[in-house]
Amino acid sequence: MQNIFKSTYRNFVRKPATNLINLGGLAVSLALVIILSVYSYSELTTDNFHKNGKRLYIYSDLNNEFKNLNTPAILKDQIDLNIPEIESSVRIAGTWEEPVFQVDDHDPITSDIITADPDFFKLFTYQAIEGNLEMALNDPLTIVLAEPLAKKLFGNEHALGKTLRINNKHTLTVSAVVKPPKDNSSLSFSSIASNDTRKIVYSNGSEFTEWGWWNFNLFVLLKEGANPTATAQKIAALFPKGDQGNENYKTYQLNHLNDLYFSNFTISWGDYLHGGDKRKVMILLMVAALVLIIALVNFINISSSQWLEKIKQTGVLKVIGADKISILRSVLSEAFILFLMALFLAILIVQLLFPFISSYTGIHFNPFLLFTPTFLIVSIAGIFLLSLIFSIIPAIRISSSKAVDNLKKTIHNGSSNSVSRGILVTAQFAIAIILIAFTVLVQKQIDFGSSNFRFDKESIIGIKLTPQLRDKKEVLKKLIGDNPSASKVSFSQFFPGKLNEHWSSFQQINGEKKQLNFDTFNGDASLYSMLGLQLVQGRFFSDDLVTDEHKMIVNETFVREHKMENPIGAKFVMGFGENPPLSEIIGVVKDFHYKPVTVPIGSLIIQNEPWSSYCLVSLNTSDFKSLNRFIQEIKSETSKLSPSFPVEISFLDQAVESLYQSEIQFRRTFSLFAGCAIVICCLGILAMSLFACQRRIKEIGIRKVNGAKVSEVLAMLNRDFVRWVAISFVIATPVAWYIMSKWLESYAYKTELSWWIFALASLLALGIALLTVSWQSWKAATRNPVEALRYE
Amino acid sequence: MLHLSNIDKYYDSKFQRTFVLKAVNMEVKEGDFLSIMGPSGSGKSTLLNIIGLLDQPSAGEYSLYDKSVLDLKEKVKVDYHRNFMGFIFQAYHLIEDMTVYENIETPLIYKGVKSRDRQAMVADLLDRFNMVAKKDLFPQQLSGGQQQLVGIARAIVGKPKLLLADEPTGNLQSVQGEMIMETLKTLNQEGMTIIQVTHNEKFAEYGKRIIRLEDGIIRKDEKS
Repeated sequence: MQNIFKSTYRNFVRKPATNLINLGGLAVSLALVIILSVYSYSELTTDNFHKNGKRLYIYSDLNNEFKNLNTPAILKDQIDLNIPEIESSVRIAGTWEEPVFQVDDHDPITSDIITADPDFFKLFTYQAIEGNLEMALNDPLTIVLAEPLAKKLFGNEHALGKTLRINNKHTLTVSAVVKPPKDNSSLSFSSIASNDTRKIVYSNGSEFTEWGWWNFNLFVLLKEGANPTATAQKIAALFPKGDQGNENYKTYQLNHLNDLYFSNFTISWGDYLHGGDKRKVMILLMVAALVLIIALVNFINISSSQWLEKIKQTGVLKVIGADKISILRSVLSEAFILFLMALFLAILIVQLLFPFISSYTGIHFNPFLLFTPTFLIVSIAGIFLLSLIFSIIPAIRISSSKAVDNLKKTIHNGSSNSVSRGILVTAQFAIAIILIAFTVLVQKQIDFGSSNFRFDKESIIGIKLTPQLRDKKEVLKKLIGDNPSASKVSFSQFFPGKLNEHWSSFQQINGEKKQLNFDTFNGDASLYSMLGLQLVQGRFFSDDLVTDEHKMIVNETFVREHKMENPIGAKFVMGFGENPPLSEIIGVVKDFHYKPVTVPIGSLIIQNEPWSSYCLVSLNTSDFKSLNRFIQEIKSETSKLSPSFPVEISFLDQAVESLYQSEIQFRRTFSLFAGCAIVICCLGILAMSLFACQRRIKEIGIRKVNGAKVSEVLAMLNRDFVRWVAISFVIATPVAWYIMSKWLESYAYKTELSWWIFALASLLALGIALLTVSWQSWKAATRNPVEALRYE
Repeated sequence: MLHLSNIDKYYDSKFQRTFVLKAVNMEVKEGDFLSIMGPSGSGKSTLLNIIGLLDQPSAGEYSLYDKSVLDLKEKVKVDYHRNFMGFIFQAYHLIEDMTVYENIETPLIYKGVKSRDRQAMVADLLDRFNMVAKKDLFPQQLSGGQQQLVGIARAIVGKPKLLLADEPTGNLQSVQGEMIMETLKTLNQEGMTIIQVTHNEKFAEYGKRIIRLEDGIIRKDEKS
């Protein structure tokens, strides 16, 4: 064994270039494979850590188009009375706006809160740092904090039993502190209070008593052996029948918790539930596999060339008494050692670069996973298998070759070998071309998305209205209006990245009964000119609020989806309660992306109600200094108006950009990995050209002696590589075209697949290949032929 | 110890059979020092390869100690290579990745000799060939003669009964060649049976017996 290490080491030192290429390529690709597979593993095992997870379901509409998760609160009361198959059920709801927490006289902190029923910790497994989770949500006016928020509020002191003020109004007692889960979870919160607390702190109409208020997500824990489909039918039967009310429950089912994360759901209150993108995970896994293939092709090419050189040595070993097995073992273990070294290098690379990669690409996982015994065993076993698979054939060939032949060097590294090598390199290039083309396409799609919002977003800032600012809107308006830098002021509920309300109601419109589903926010007269929206029919609101009360403006999609032939003047009931107002449509606007461009534009109603959450200010300056000064001024003055709640000011265009964070990160991830793939590919052909030049050194000498010019020799040496790239272009283009059009299909608004993407990718691949190969060819072609021919 | 009778070696091509060896009969006794002489292409190396079990004759009988060694299993062949015979080559065929010491040690490892015994055996040989100072050098760092000495050391370290040498002096200057031949002669005097192939008349004279081959046929078999 010691012998093998020694000979591996010496072999490495004797040919550092090719061996480094081999090792480096393997290590980089293994690092990518490790990062991506651990990331995918943590994504694909999201929510698996809940102890009762197997029996945990959410009552929702995940299998249908709208992917609604909301249910009325009163449903739980009925379930508890009528459905014995359900062991426990928990309603969870977020809040429309994040509350402000304050401990004593410390600075107030804005953070999120969710409310749930006391059984929350029975359904979901969390680890308590302080307090008893079974009892934590039993009493009203208590709160459970997640560790990060507890640290922010109380520092390193114990939080249990202490009090905090929420929204400068109510005092809550901390009943427990929990650790955020290590593993990936679709549920995340920084604080949680009971629904009884919600009734006091966030009293919201009759949401707990009427069937019309769909503000909660309902999670249920089924009893052992209960059938989810049958139980869901029983739940549906609990809804009151009749003309009035929402009939969405008809498509509701019990969906397993594990189906939630990748279901692409929408959530309308808060953002405590996070989804993942399975397609992204799959694409990245595929990329990892492709990068690994490229590196393995390098391994095969480089090693088989080296083994050919070794074959004479094998003959000697056989003559002095080596048997088949020991030669087989030594070839295999040399390959294994190389892979093992690559694995350790890869782990080192991941360790060193992970913080950077994680912030650049947004790929997160728990880095300690790398040092768990399971990971080490799995990866070493994987490495062992890979090295075995990819060296067993040459190993057998070498060990069973005849000693005399080896000594005479009559083994031909003939044409079949170079053909198979050509195929391998062609495959490599095909992969590289696909990856380059895909990178270009992702970039193109992002550019396309971010230049097509159909509303203005430059030089607009949003001041988030705190409860105290909201009461002083007129003062605020005057204050901003007096500033020379501000040109327009608008109060609205609209801000990119913030939630829109989604309403569903059953209505009588112009004598027809219709199920209406739409997003809605409040806006005022100046919103339209500020965002540059275009009118299709009717008019906008006017500043004269009295006449325009209970008027609405809808978008084109609303008109189209609800098949309204004559939308202007249509009246229907908006809102709930005793006497909901009858509202009238007065205008239709052109569709614009009030939601991220990755999702289709929905039906939208803009209401002319006074409730607003943002004060939008458009500025008549774009000079950075004066912008900055303006923001400072506004901030200090608004802070005087809102002493108990911190004021947040943000730019509209930045808010829009942050919506595309995941797309941008996907592009970065992809281009990083595609870049690695191309580099590894280049290393591979570099090694190949090294070998080719070495093998043909005599031929080159003879040709030169017989009068070949350097350019002719160069052309001869490069011809093979160019041919391979050309073939790979032919193979890659249809495959890439297919994959890319599949990928684009999932976008509501998509860029075109232009031919130049493929041309660009192939030219890049060809250019890189020629540069790499020519470096070696030039050296070989300009050598003095005498040197090559001197020795025999 | 070694008996060849009616050995043929031929290659069939489309319409004709090309003989490399034809009806070779030969007997070698223990303690013999045999030189096989002949021009290029006369079949010397093929004969040596057949004797060394590296090649199979097309027809005929070959026995070692009255035991036929044709159609041996791989495993038995390996055993003969490990314990019975050693090889020396014209191009030395040392393993370039290994030091002098390791080159000599390798056959012992295959033979399964214990580490301590190996050290002693290799040290003995290094001492005998005056190469102790060079034991950590690699083959490229030695002169041709020294490389061939290492080759001999490697061939005899397992104490084989039969030493087969394929033009051992072919790549060497005459002074170094003589040194190698002297070494072989000494080994023979110590009791080792040696068969060498050469086309150098002078070096052939070192043998006790010379066989002259021409076109695969033994023309002369004489005591020198």
